[in-house]
Amino acid sequence: MAKVLEGPGMGLLKKWGLQTPNYAVVGSSEELEQLAQANDWLNKSSLVVKAHEALGSRFKLGLVKVGLDLKGAKAAAKEMLGRTVGTLTIREVIVSEAVDHSEEYYVAVKSTRDGADVMVANCGGVEVESNWDRVKRCSVVVGDAPSDAALEGLAKEAGFSGDLIPKVADFARKLFLCFDNEDGQYLEINPVVQNAAGELVALDAVTLLDGDAKFRHPDWTFPFAAEFGRAYTENEEEVMAVDSKVKGSVKLIEIPGGDTAMLPAGGGASVYYSDAVVARGGKLANYAEYSGDPPDWAVEVLTDKVCSLPGIKNIIVGGAIANFTDVKKTFGGIINAFRKAKAAGKLDGVRIWVRRGGPNEKQGLAAMNALKDEGFEIEVFDRRTPLTDIVDMALAKK
Amino acid sequence: MSILATKETHVVIQGGVAGVNAARRMGEFRHMIQQPLNVSAFVYPPDAGKTNEVVCGNRLLTIPVYKTVAEATANHPEINTSLVYIGADRAYAGAKEALDNSGIQVVSMITEGLPEKDSKLLGAHARKLGKVFNGPSSIGVMSAGECRLGVIGGAFDNLVACKLYRPGSFGVITKSGGLSNEIIWICSQFADGITTAIGIGGDAYPGTDYVTYLEMFENDPQTKAVVIVGEMGGDLEERAAEWYGAKKRRVKLLSVVSGFCQESLPKGMKFGHAGAKEGLQGEGSARAKSEALKKAGAIVPETFGALGPAIKQTYEEFVKSGEVKPIPDLSEAEQPKLPRTVEQGMKDGDILVAPLIKSTISDDRGDEPLYEGYPASELINKGYDIPHIIGLLWDKRLVSKQEAEIIRRIIILSADHGPCVSGALTTIIGACAGIGLSQAVAAGLIMIGPRFGGAVTDAGRYFSYAIDNNMSVDEFLSHMKKNVGPVPGIGHRVKSLRNPDKRVKELVGYVKSLDLATPHLDFALEVEKITAAKKDNLILNVDGTMAAVLVDLGFPVDSLNGFFVLARTIGLIGHWADQKRQGSRLIRLFNYLVNYAAPARREVPPLK
Repeated sequence: MAKVLEGPGMGLLKKWGLQTPNYAVVGSSEELEQLAQANDWLNKSSLVVKAHEALGSRFKLGLVKVGLDLKGAKAAAKEMLGRTVGTLTIREVIVSEAVDHSEEYYVAVKSTRDGADVMVANCGGVEVESNWDRVKRCSVVVGDAPSDAALEGLAKEAGFSGDLIPKVADFARKLFLCFDNEDGQYLEINPVVQNAAGELVALDAVTLLDGDAKFRHPDWTFPFAAEFGRAYTENEEEVMAVDSKVKGSVKLIEIPGGDTAMLPAGGGASVYYSDAVVARGGKLANYAEYSGDPPDWAVEVLTDKVCSLPGIKNIIVGGAIANFTDVKKTFGGIINAFRKAKAAGKLDGVRIWVRRGGPNEKQGLAAMNALKDEGFEIEVFDRRTPLTDIVDMALAKK
Repeated sequence: MSILATKETHVVIQGGVAGVNAARRMGEFRHMIQQPLNVSAFVYPPDAGKTNEVVCGNRLLTIPVYKTVAEATANHPEINTSLVYIGADRAYAGAKEALDNSGIQVVSMITEGLPEKDSKLLGAHARKLGKVFNGPSSIGVMSAGECRLGVIGGAFDNLVACKLYRPGSFGVITKSGGLSNEIIWICSQFADGITTAIGIGGDAYPGTDYVTYLEMFENDPQTKAVVIVGEMGGDLEERAAEWYGAKKRRVKLLSVVSGFCQESLPKGMKFGHAGAKEGLQGEGSARAKSEALKKAGAIVPETFGALGPAIKQTYEEFVKSGEVKPIPDLSEAEQPKLPRTVEQGMKDGDILVAPLIKSTISDDRGDEPLYEGYPASELINKGYDIPHIIGLLWDKRLVSKQEAEIIRRIIILSADHGPCVSGALTTIIGACAGIGLSQAVAAGLIMIGPRFGGAVTDAGRYFSYAIDNNMSVDEFLSHMKKNVGPVPGIGHRVKSLRNPDKRVKELVGYVKSLDLATPHLDFALEVEKITAAKKDNLILNVDGTMAAVLVDLGFPVDSLNGFFVLARTIGLIGHWADQKRQGSRLIRLFNYLVNYAAPARREVPPLK
């Protein structure tokens, strides 16, 4: 899933005929000033300013300001831009027009195994979260589209009446079109409000798209935001850059404060290794994974980052019996990085635990074992040792 | 018995290099179970009409490549399964093409990063047609003793270690490719091995879920238990639990689910496969899945590590109840083996191959060439020069400084002789006709023969003959006249006593200034005295001089023409490059340079 920030998210909704408030994404208060000279609404309307970054709890952090005039909006933009939250610097704010309204509604489309669910509630904002039973849904099989009658029935079921029934049905129909054509995975408009002219407006949206479908959407020129509620770290971004270039995959997520570093192979096995660490009361310093027979240099970059994690005591070089990842070759990359890290003093007091099988496993494991002669604290096990036993040993040997 | 991939499976592989690699892995499996290859064809439009080579046992098979699935099935009606190895942007169309083909019942896709919508559409389409769409991102399907689809199972040694040459009693379904192999191994070590192992792919919405395969296993009497390796996210495990709990099932179900670490991770952090994402309302957690499976009566070990002992216990119960009869293990000698390559056999020291050629001068097998055993870089660094390399490669010896200097001078003196001589002229004509360097230079070299530059070897041969037989000059000349003809190395087209060849003078002068015994050169100069006295231009020419000197240095007679060939190649390359540089146009001889001596125009008589 790829999260899209509010600005480009609103852009997609507009593309599919949904009404959104006027908005502008700016990188400086001067830019806002210039825009105000061309756009009347910036001078006339009550404005909302929000940090345009992948951040949770923006309200709490003071990164959402409401009820502003242009002057106030410029001041708010100036104050927010350049602020740092953790590793993230705020580079953009989104300024939007407040829409006077009394009622708030909820419309969403969510991917399901068989297709999608269209979800509607006649309450919105925080109210819908505490009244989840008021969300009514209508399932659509993949390849189909919901009929007008079905959507009107859904609106009725959700408690809408009068002319709101066709309006909500039409809104849901367009949101579904957007979802279906833009390879959506989750589109949530909360709240949907009615403006003075009686039209439904998408006030705030969560937009999750299928990043794998980017190849058929040339207009997806926007970057995807981190899904974590935090920005990616420099090391994570470096590994992602390598990942995008190579056959197979290398992945890294850093977890501050942990002492057990993970360097396992395989998307499936890596999670079992993490589970084992948690089950034994260990603290994960990261999540990592390499698979699909990546080149040795890519694994070397990943290993280099893992060795550089602060305060680590153990490194778990785990892995199942590979189908086609060459153990000797990928271990070659790991060994190179280990040697460099050791020379740089990064592995002082760090114990390394290895378990692996697969093509050329004998040579790969022998090469790891030979690191003992170079003064590494390393224990090497083959396929006869059950997958996660090295975690038990690492965490038992206090 | 097995499911999905069986003895009757015949495969078309859609894709390029990755597909060919998969076919090779499948070939290894077929060799192990001593069956012919079950890959009938490839579909890969860029290579349509070509063939791919796949090793099966000790045979190299050529498998045709087609443009479309329809062409493949028309030519190979036995095909009933397609393996899709196509990039994510074209995979949907490829899989759809296969599903829509009436002969194909199973489509398994290894492609990763297929858009979710495409996967759902393919899954729904397959279900509508009553077919199976497995994957995407599936490592493949392995049915022990019967069929391998894709690379699942890994290297040959692993196939044997996991006893995949014969069926066991356990079915396996996993999302993870790496773990499928791990479970196959565990089943073979803690129990009697697998019937079929299926990688369904790690995506959120795989084309086929656990339940479909559980139903198939339930109907396969050979399968006594099924192991599911689950992951957090989605609801596939819950649905499997629901299926298992719905009524009494013949198969036993064992399962582990990953993702417990999620509970202690910072909020919002998720890892693993694309499918391992938390449901938006918190459903699909590892704990919820484990609980559901346990409640349904499945055996759910606490950790992955405990899965092996759980499988063992289940197996032992089967044995005790008589449901399963233990299969005796094959001894080391009975186990299937891959035919070894000649290289491997030689490495192991138990194969002797009669070599085709023998080389005594150089060896390229290390990190740099060895000339007569000396590393090239060391020769450079110790100050050796090109004449020394000539000595090593032509006469298998390190020549002295003095000898090297003579060789150097010979090469300088004979590197070129202008554009008019046969060799250079031919190269120039070639260059002007647009011929490439190596061909045009080779054309010039072809001119080197008895009348141009190629008399060095023969001159050396006869001067040696004279010296070896202690002949006088007169004896030599009458021997030559009687048996050979003109003396090679004597005579010049334009040079003469009055117009001496400066190159000869220079070389003779230098060699004679050295403290060096030169019997051949001395003899040649004596010969010249007699011949030049008879006719002005019967002088010792440059070929003859070189020959005499080089024989004096001890170079083998057969190598002597090489000095001229080597030296003149420098000039010929120069002439070719010179013409190229000038952009010379095609040339032809002018009419007036030809004496047209053929009969004048006349009438052709009627054909008889």
